[in-house]
Amino acid sequence: MKPVKQDRNSSLIKITLWFMAFLTSIPFLWLIKDAGRMIFAPIIYYDNGIFFVWLKNTSIFVGSALLISVLTCVTAGFVMAVLNVPFRRFLLFSTLVTMLIPITAMAMPLYVLIDRIHLNNTLLGLILASSYFPFGAFLSYLYYSSVLPQELIGMGRIDGLTDFGIYRHLGIPLSKSLISIVTFFSFVGLWNSYQLPRVLLIDPSRSVMSIGIEVFYGQGTTLIGIMMLIPSVLLYLASQKTIARGIFSGAMKG
Amino acid sequence: MILPYVCFMFFCGIIPIAYGILEVRNPSWVNMDGGYETFLKVLQDFRVGPALINVFFIIIIFVPLMAITVLSISLLLDATELRGNALMRLLFLIPALIPTGVAVLFWVSVVGPDVVWDHSNIRWFIGSIAFSTGIGSWIVIQYGSLRSIPPEVLEAGIIDGCNRFQLAIRLKLPMISRYVAYMVILLIVSALQIFNEPNLLMFTNMTTDWSLSQIAFSYAFKAADFAGSSALSIMILIPNIILALLFVFFTDFIKKSKNS
Repeated sequence: MKPVKQDRNSSLIKITLWFMAFLTSIPFLWLIKDAGRMIFAPIIYYDNGIFFVWLKNTSIFVGSALLISVLTCVTAGFVMAVLNVPFRRFLLFSTLVTMLIPITAMAMPLYVLIDRIHLNNTLLGLILASSYFPFGAFLSYLYYSSVLPQELIGMGRIDGLTDFGIYRHLGIPLSKSLISIVTFFSFVGLWNSYQLPRVLLIDPSRSVMSIGIEVFYGQGTTLIGIMMLIPSVLLYLASQKTIARGIFSGAMKG
Repeated sequence: MILPYVCFMFFCGIIPIAYGILEVRNPSWVNMDGGYETFLKVLQDFRVGPALINVFFIIIIFVPLMAITVLSISLLLDATELRGNALMRLLFLIPALIPTGVAVLFWVSVVGPDVVWDHSNIRWFIGSIAFSTGIGSWIVIQYGSLRSIPPEVLEAGIIDGCNRFQLAIRLKLPMISRYVAYMVILLIVSALQIFNEPNLLMFTNMTTDWSLSQIAFSYAFKAADFAGSSALSIMILIPNIILALLFVFFTDFIKKSKNS
């Protein structure tokens, strides 16, 4: 919204915001200040370079779960918004309910299940348990409800497009900004996830960075902290224009 | 096309809960005879009462504080044309992107060991970490929801003589109310499930079994008692599922879907 006039309230708002931004930046400033004194050696040589194992495991875990979660939830959002599939309302209902149950709440029940199917202490078990991202499906549903009018889909049908054809020719080309925002939220959740890897990967040699970080208390945590911050910040910068345009636009119209 | 998503929905949601309910029946350390009395037996655990108090403390003090802070900052960000708006949102977001392990270390060094090792402060301390790492993502989401309000609605408000404060209270907040409800519910259930912060502070020996999720964790990993762990986890899930159902029934997403 563009303000009608600039007045002293605007200045007051700006000063308040900058002050609050400074307060919330203190942890980051502390990280930067502390990182200058840190050296890589204790991290690299700890336990015969286990840091690199954690880095590799984190990459495999985050990369795979991110790919699965983004692909499945963007497609699901498209289907729920556009196609007349059986149980469509039930699927939307289940998405909304599960969106309000954090994955951490499911950690112990998931652990029991994963243990019973013998995937405990494996990256595959963690990837499968982390790949469901209902918030992304909900965002995708709102997005496609807003950008794909029924008339356009009707024209596609007249042209002989199947459900998958509509997705391929209309859904996917429109999905760029949606994918950037879903990727951001999914990535941050996976990259910083703690409880699920803590429960599902007990063996330290199979662990990931967000858990491994504990052993470096006082001798390099901040350096790893900054390293772990960089990908999330870059992804945010890539998706922030979509966020600024309004991530729930579809839901406010009509 | 939607099948993979539905499979994950079942694998990560419905099947673990159903399996957990079946698991509770098995004989275990907490209930040698087995059966659904395990639900009652875990509630009699001496650690559950204090953990409940800790969790309710976070819900009563920090959840309202977080919700008010998030909404205030989001409304202020949306209320004025600000050079550096994107940078400022990034600054608000960064604490949420810092891994919890690093955030805990930061707070330990900020407040000093005396405060951390003092029993009376530990709830405030854990709440502060949850606050610091919890508000950033919500500011981004609520700012996104405010930007989704159609400009013509706000212009109508301005023509009707609303000032910025009235616009925020009378127009913007009611229009984003469902996302505010979504945030408040998730803040409550995250507090109910709090695990990371107390678990990372275990080196103080004061936060072992501090929260309900930690006790469920202890049952499984220290006592190898899956039945007790499942029973407690499912009981923590009940208020969560009730809140989620209330949210779905009192917002109009399903109705909109039917109309479309």
